Formats: sequence, structure tokens, C-alpha cells
Amino acid sequence: MNSTADNKNTTQVTRRRAFSPKDRLTLGVFIGVPTALHVLLVWIPAVATIGLSFTYWTGIHINDIRWAGFANYHNIFFSTPVFWQALKDNVIWLGWFGLIATPLGILLAYQIDRQIRGHAFFQTAYYIPVVLSLAVTGVIWNFMLRPDGFINGILGKDITNPISFFGDDRWNLYVILVMASWRHIGYIMLLYLAGLKAVDPALREAAALDGATEWETFKRIILPTMRPVNIIVLVITIIESLRAFDIVYIIYGTSGAQVPILGTLVFQNISGEGQSMKGAAYATILFLLSIGPIIAYLRTTFKEDVK
Amino acid sequence: MSVEQNGVSRRTLIKGAALGGIGIAGGATVLSSCGSKASGPMSFGARTVDESPTKQLKGLVAAYEKKSGNKVTYNATESNAFQNNLSQYLQGTPDDAFQWMAGYRMQFFAEQGLLEDISDVWKDLESQYDNSYKIASTGLDGKQYFVPQSWYPWGLHYRKSMVKDLGLDPENIANFDDMIKMFDAMKKKGLVGFAAGDKGGWEAMGTFDIINARLNGYQFHVDLLAGREKWTDQRVIDVFAQWEKLLPYTNKNVLDLEWDGAMQLLLQKKAGSTLMGSWFGQNFKDKSQADYDDLWIVPFPEINPEHGVDTIDAPIDGFCVAANGSNTAVGKDFIKFAGDKEGMQAMLDTGVAMTSANKNQDTSTYDPFQKQQLNVMSQAKYITQFLDRDTRPDFAGPVVGPAIQSWYKNPKDVNKIVDSLQAQWEALPKL
Repeated sequence: MNSTADNKNTTQVTRRRAFSPKDRLTLGVFIGVPTALHVLLVWIPAVATIGLSFTYWTGIHINDIRWAGFANYHNIFFSTPVFWQALKDNVIWLGWFGLIATPLGILLAYQIDRQIRGHAFFQTAYYIPVVLSLAVTGVIWNFMLRPDGFINGILGKDITNPISFFGDDRWNLYVILVMASWRHIGYIMLLYLAGLKAVDPALREAAALDGATEWETFKRIILPTMRPVNIIVLVITIIESLRAFDIVYIIYGTSGAQVPILGTLVFQNISGEGQSMKGAAYATILFLLSIGPIIAYLRTTFKEDVK
Repeated sequence: MSVEQNGVSRRTLIKGAALGGIGIAGGATVLSSCGSKASGPMSFGARTVDESPTKQLKGLVAAYEKKSGNKVTYNATESNAFQNNLSQYLQGTPDDAFQWMAGYRMQFFAEQGLLEDISDVWKDLESQYDNSYKIASTGLDGKQYFVPQSWYPWGLHYRKSMVKDLGLDPENIANFDDMIKMFDAMKKKGLVGFAAGDKGGWEAMGTFDIINARLNGYQFHVDLLAGREKWTDQRVIDVFAQWEKLLPYTNKNVLDLEWDGAMQLLLQKKAGSTLMGSWFGQNFKDKSQADYDDLWIVPFPEINPEHGVDTIDAPIDGFCVAANGSNTAVGKDFIKFAGDKEGMQAMLDTGVAMTSANKNQDTSTYDPFQKQQLNVMSQAKYITQFLDRDTRPDFAGPVVGPAIQSWYKNPKDVNKIVDSLQAQWEALPKL
């Protein structure tokens, strides 16, 4: 009994010693400042945006704000056909990233991890696009694929009859997706590669000794041990697909709605003399769609930290 | 203490001393209300980063600095970025004077109290402008908020040498059917008859404007854009049907080209004509003087004899003074100078092509293409700005632009498209 009490005492003492006034100040600053900044710069604007989406407002004078209830949402769902088109494009985007780009990134990571010939070269080559922002990616591909761009140039097509990469509805979304994947694949590859390096080689050896094929090893051993990384990769894929904006904006500008996605609809309504409250409503819809994966992402990250 | 000392700048101190010590910030305003000349440094926001217009505006700024002795800081922003950020810009710490557009675009910001009332500037400028410019500069409250700089007509542009080689004469085409015959002749030579680009989503609005005005008249056009007529009206469907007749002579990649793509088709002699605003004359001039001399404009031909060629899209660009500017008095003084014959001349003297809005302008120095623009303009009885300047901005860009793009993709969808246009007009909040 006594000793337990003593133990408690000592731990309490140690704890008290651990948080000296100076420590508390340091901790307060280290936690307080980011929290304050986060609330100020992220949560207050986010909550204000959600609030605004239930109003009529030109975006200029605070006292002009009028309550609109669900009118903006009603308008978006029932009178704005482009919303459904944008949603469809975002879903295709998600499908493409989820089924093609991300698996490709994983495949590359796996191959490089297996130290195939020239793996160092491939690793660098695939990673380079990740260093570039999506906006720069858009500019580069625009130079390549425009009617008077590089590809049409070497094919000898002039601007009266070029291959219409961005103007033809049948494939322009997929052209954009290839551009976006160019960067996304490298990103996923790097994330996955980091995870693969942490997999205990003994597991692989054991599997090999038991006569497992490469595919079986990957499916039964590697994939399950990589669960935390898998979730992060999945969440990143979902978020990247929903928040897509830069590339489309670079290629089509503000008003060009040839490949409408939710991100551009938000911008289109907020910028200029648009309907900022409708933009806020689009942003809220996007927020609701993203929040699920984001929560999952954060929970995994925290679990990792605790471990 | 020290802040206050800094606040009293050398310049204000001198001016203040001259008038018996009127102090710091308020000084300039007080001075102007006394009827004295406005003074002090100011800043000017240009809505362009392109070489030629920059040269032109810097010419204006230099001339103003020389005349008034006021220092002008020149700030330039790329035009799309400027437009997208304008409401934030005007609510923050804007430049005192800035470049903007007449009509609806100006009225929106004037209504929000973000533009300075410049009715007094107009009292001085009135004699130099036709009334139509004053109307275009007037807000919904009847006060003026805008000083015109230049305008450009939207018309059929072509190269004189090309039509001559083809034995065509666009200047004497009587009507739409003759124009189609002309396009047919161009098509037979392997040319695009009527070049178009609509990747930006706004370019083709000019074609809608002109066909609607030619077919249904000015009044229907403005009533439609103001919401007094319906988009589902048979007359609107007729506009698209008429437009469809141009498609066989239009390049197939309309949605892949921006306005400059259509211009390139004409510049590279791959297209016989294009409907656009004459501002791109400067691009021809930048290429070579010979290309510029070859460029010509005629009004879009008659469709309905009842309306002839009585309407033209001629957007006016000009200047406003920001209500939140730090030196609005000098800002007003600056745009007064800009709108005056003298300021206009300073811009023209830079050698950059521009058609002045000022009616007293000495047009003897205009080149033939500029004179032809004046000629085209003078044939019109009604002047419209442009679709995205004549209707609600939250309707034009986000709704009409994509609607026309989807029409290009599938002209047969016209009924669906006009239904959707009308539904979205009705769904606009009543602001």
C-alpha cells in the first residue's frame, strides 16, 4: 500500500517537474499558436462559408446578407444542370484515380522496391512530376497538347485541323486525367515505397520458403502488413479527386466549363461579380464529400503516432 | 509621435503650408472641394500586362505626371486575375483610379458603393462626348461613375488581299445569304469561311448578340438580356437556327481555340473571315505593318430587312475611381485628364492603335483601319456593349457561356439548351 502511494507520489512529482513554468509556456506556445492560427484561418472561414451558403449575398456589404434557407442548395440540385455534370466528372476522376492511377503507383513502387534493373532511374523519373505543382503540370501539358502545341506540331497539323485534345467532349476529361495522373502516380509511388521499405524482409523470405508466388506474397503478406499506408493512399486518392481544380483552371480558365468539376464551380461563382453564396454552397457540398475521408485519414495518422 | 511625423509627408507639408496649414490625410479632399487643383501622389491600376496597352497607358500616366506634377504609381494586373479579384480589390486598399468596363459591369460595383461618384468630372467632359457614352457611364442611380477611354466595334474582319485574290467583295454583300455564298466560295478554296473560337466561353457571345440583333432587333435583344423576354421564345430558337447555317463554314475546333486562335486562322490566311472586336488589330500590327494594312472590317450583314444593320456590339473600356482609394481627388483629376482630348492624344501618340471615345479627337492621324472602324460604328443606330456586359454577370459567365459551348457540341439540343437557360435565369436570386 505504502509503496504504491509512494510510487504515485513520485510519478506526480516527476510529472510536476516535467512541466515547469517554462515548459508550460513552451508547450502553451507550441500548442496554442498553431491552434489559434488553425481556428482563425481554417475553422472560422469554414464555418462562415457554411453559414453563407444559407444566405443571399453579393459578397460585398455585410449588412446586405439576407437569409435564404436552403434556396441555394435547391437551386444547385434542381436548376443547375452543370452541377450534376460536375459531380459526374468528379466521380469519373475518383474512379480513374482509384482504379488506374493509384494501382499503377503501387505497382511501380513494388517493382522499384524489388530493385528491378534501373530502379534508381525510374524512381527519380517518376518522382520528378511530384515536385511540380499541379498548376505547372497544367502549363507544361498545355504547351504540348494545344492546337498549336508541340504534339500537333510534330504531327504536322496546323490549327485548322489539329487533334482536339481539350475541345472534344469524347475524351477531354480523360486527357485531363492523364495529365493529373502523371503527377499522382509518382506521389503514390513514393508513399508506398516508403511503406514497403518498412516491411520486414523476413516475412518475404518466409513466404518464399513456403513456395508462395510473387502475387500471392503481395496479396497475402505485403498488402495486409501495409494496412496503415493503404488507408492513407486511399484517402489521398479520394481527396485529390475531389479537390481537383488547378489543372482544369489552367487549361480552361474561369468561364470555360468544358470539363466542369466541383472545384471550378466554387471558383466560378465566387470570383468576379458572381454569386458568392452559391459558390459557398458548392464549397459546403465539397466539404461534406471530403470530410469523411479526411476524418479516416486523421484517425489513421493519429493511431500511427500513438503506436 | 513619429508615426504622425511620417504621416505629414514632405509634399503634403508644402501644400498644407501654402493653404495655411491644412494637415495630413484629409488635405487633398479639402483642397479639391475648395476648387483648387487636386494634388499628391496617387496610384493607377491597369487591367493588362500586355506590351502594347501597357505602353499606351504608361504614355497617359507620363503625360499626366508632366501636366499635374502629381506622382502616379503604375500597378499592372493580368486582366482575368484583375476581373476575378475586383470586388476584393475594391473593398481593400485599391488604386485610386483603375481601368474597367462600362455598362452592367460598372453599375454592379457602383450600386455596392465601391466606385466614386464622378458626376462633376462629367460636367467638364460632357461637351466632348456623345450622349450614348454618358449613358454607358451612368449608374442605376443616375450618377456617373466611369470615363470612357476607347471602344472597338464587333464586325466581320477579313484580309483585303485574300478576298481580292478570291474575287470576293465583302464590303458589298447585301445580306446573310450573300455572306453564305461568299463563305461557300472560300470553302471551295479550302479555307475556313467563318473562323470562331469559344474555348474561353465568352467569345461566341458576340455571334449570338449580332444574330439576335439582326434577326429580332435591338429591342428584343436588350429585353431578353434584361429578363423581360424569355429564352424559350421561338425567336431565340430562330437565332440558333440561323447560327447553325454558319457551322459548315466554321472551323471544327471552335471549343479548342480561344479568341486568339480564331485570330491566328485569319492571320495565317487559313480563314477568310472572323467575327470579333477590332482590338486585335494591334496583334496584326505587332506581326507586321503589312498584315495590319491588310486587315479590314465590315458590319455583320443584314438578316431581317426590318432591322437592317442598325445594331452593333461596341464595348467601351475606360476608367473608374475607387471609393476606397487613398487619394480619390487626384484619382478623379487623373481620369478627367484621361477622358479629355489631351489625355487621349497622349495615348494615341504612343503609336498603339486605339479608337478614342472622345468626339473632339483629331481623327486625321487615324490610319485607314481605324477610320473604317468609325465608319462601321456610324452605320449603327443602337450600340450594345457585349452579352457579358449587358446582362447579369452571374448569368453571363456561369450560365450563357457554357450553354453556347454545349450548343456547339450538339446544335440539335437547342430546345433543351434554351429551356435550361430560362430555368437558370429564373433561379437567379433577386439581388
